[in-house]
Amino acid sequence: MAIQCSYYLEPVDTTDLPRRFLDAFAAVLAHSSYAMVLDAASHVSARCGRCASTCPVYQASDDPRDIPCLRSELVLKVYRRYFTPRGALATRLGPGFELDEAYINTMAEEMYRCTACRRCKLECPMGIDHGLITHLGRWLLAEVGIIPKALRVATREQLEGKTNNTSAIPAAALIDTCEFLEEDCVDTHGFKIRFPIDQQDAEYIFFPAVSDYLLEPDTLMGNAAVMTATNASWTIGTRYFDGINYGLFYSDRMLDRIVNMEVQELKRLNARTVLIGECGHASRSAKAFIRTFCGGDRAPEVINCMEYALRMLNEGRLELRKNAIDARVTYHDPCNIARSGWIIEQPREILRHIASDFVDMTPHGRENYCCGGGGGTVSIDEIRSFRTHIGGATKAEQIRRTGATIVVSPCANCKKQLREVCEDNNLEHVQVVGLHDLILQAIVVPAAMRVDPQSDAASATASP
Amino acid sequence: MDAWIELARGPLFRIALAALLIGLVYRLGTAAAQVILAWRRAGDRQLPLRSVATATLSWLLPVRLLRQRPLYGIASLVFHVGIIALPLFVAGHVALLQQSLPVVWPQLPSGVADVLSVVAFLALAAILVGRLAVRPTRALTRFQDVAVLALLLLLVGLGFLAAHPELSPFPARTLLLLHILAGDLALALTPMTKIAHCIVYPFTQLVFELAWHFPADSGRHVAVALGKEGEPV
Repeated sequence: MAIQCSYYLEPVDTTDLPRRFLDAFAAVLAHSSYAMVLDAASHVSARCGRCASTCPVYQASDDPRDIPCLRSELVLKVYRRYFTPRGALATRLGPGFELDEAYINTMAEEMYRCTACRRCKLECPMGIDHGLITHLGRWLLAEVGIIPKALRVATREQLEGKTNNTSAIPAAALIDTCEFLEEDCVDTHGFKIRFPIDQQDAEYIFFPAVSDYLLEPDTLMGNAAVMTATNASWTIGTRYFDGINYGLFYSDRMLDRIVNMEVQELKRLNARTVLIGECGHASRSAKAFIRTFCGGDRAPEVINCMEYALRMLNEGRLELRKNAIDARVTYHDPCNIARSGWIIEQPREILRHIASDFVDMTPHGRENYCCGGGGGTVSIDEIRSFRTHIGGATKAEQIRRTGATIVVSPCANCKKQLREVCEDNNLEHVQVVGLHDLILQAIVVPAAMRVDPQSDAASATASP
Repeated sequence: MDAWIELARGPLFRIALAALLIGLVYRLGTAAAQVILAWRRAGDRQLPLRSVATATLSWLLPVRLLRQRPLYGIASLVFHVGIIALPLFVAGHVALLQQSLPVVWPQLPSGVADVLSVVAFLALAAILVGRLAVRPTRALTRFQDVAVLALLLLLVGLGFLAAHPELSPFPARTLLLLHILAGDLALALTPMTKIAHCIVYPFTQLVFELAWHFPADSGRHVAVALGKEGEPV
């Protein structure tokens, strides 16, 4: 029997699949702390249903299989049966649950209906993190070869391909793109920016979601404008320049390998701080897991570009025009940087400064709703309808209620998803942009960046 | 009948209490050992302890509980207050305690205990009906979710009737015996059912935060264990 899911898979070897799945489970339990999680969830889950009332997927689908507690049960059931004394006893007492291919197939489908937004954790009185249990479930599936093709192919190119990035951009093309963006900024916005390449001893080494080089020129020009205007010591490495980390979505092994690529490039160029671009999962992967996998307290510091921009604004090293943006603007919190409370107010402070009509969604911040494309699902084009009509339904209504025509979404994945959500939910008039796209319009250009330093016309501001 | 009651509140109670204590110590010990081991193995030992403590404490306050599904929240709150206060502070229970231990122990006035019993009983009944009537919780319901609620419902109801036998057609001693047996069973089952959260709760937020702090070499060790070193992605 072949494994069949609503997303594409590379061919899965189903020979002895249940046994191989259990071998992987045993290996993971032996070398990780997941047993602690599964024991705690098994003993304290009250099955109260609060997670159901806060999950945007279940709220839209009304399908019990989308209740976070029930999804976690798929993993817990295998754990209790095969890895606890109670399960061993139950087996001796009579016929019970046996893991088979059909069950693994169900897991494969259900684990990728979750956007891993972890909103359910906030509302669980016991603090059960169903996102973490889904994360484990996906890793176990990955160890038997069940990984959405979109994630696997991109990760293969990143770790083993010629280009070492998920968008397969050769280093020469990266350099060309950066040069093009420098020229385009002069032509379009009337001032000079710099993308320093392979500079040794810089303070910051920059890792945006690599897809920004293909899809988000204004975000990158905004990043470079902030760095250039503040005279920052920064660089982009040509051996490794991708912040994307799909390991966070399907395998701790890959997560480890990818953050190590970032740190190797930092060491090669002798940079000191990892600077992540506008990308939620890239930021969280680096912030949380560089410390985990690359030396704990000895690991390099990680900051997000929005933290940097606000610090510069507050220190007076970055000047932004007040109320430069007239349109109504709202802000979407990427789950990976907001759920923990890490980045919530920083972009809002900047937006309240540059936008005259900023409105927040309800709820927002830590309690935000996912865009519907979290957990790597945004990269799976074949489930677009599920993402935009189920996962993103609540977000679409939130956006509609604000009346905003600009949604600021500082995350490559959320941007792609929200554009599709707007297209599929009659919100075509809404523009989805990054924070640095607006900073690019609002920045007060220092003299050194002006194309013609003598020109008053170009001196005050950049043209929108 | 008196002999049965003595058996229930003597040897059976002691067995139930022993099962409770051994089970809870085992649960607590296992949880503590797992937390310590996970922390020692973690590649990043910097934990956001303040937010863990805030999350843990916030769920002990009714405000958080009442935000979503307020009726369920109120019922849950009343039931929890009743199920903690009644066994500890009802006059009959205090008298039993003081037979064994010469301690000064506060007790609820009988009127308050009666009101609390009735309110807790109604709250439990509401939770049980709500669980079975609302679609998501019905889908989530296991055998133990109904069984534990039914047992507690029986325990509180029988306790009230044992204190007010004039309200029941059954003999007072029979009601008392059944109440004590239900109590013994509830105590013994606590470590084996979801009621275990009464002891493990202080650890749960910490467990799920700490669990994201993976061992630094977990992935590499898993690859070795599965013979996947060097295997293509």
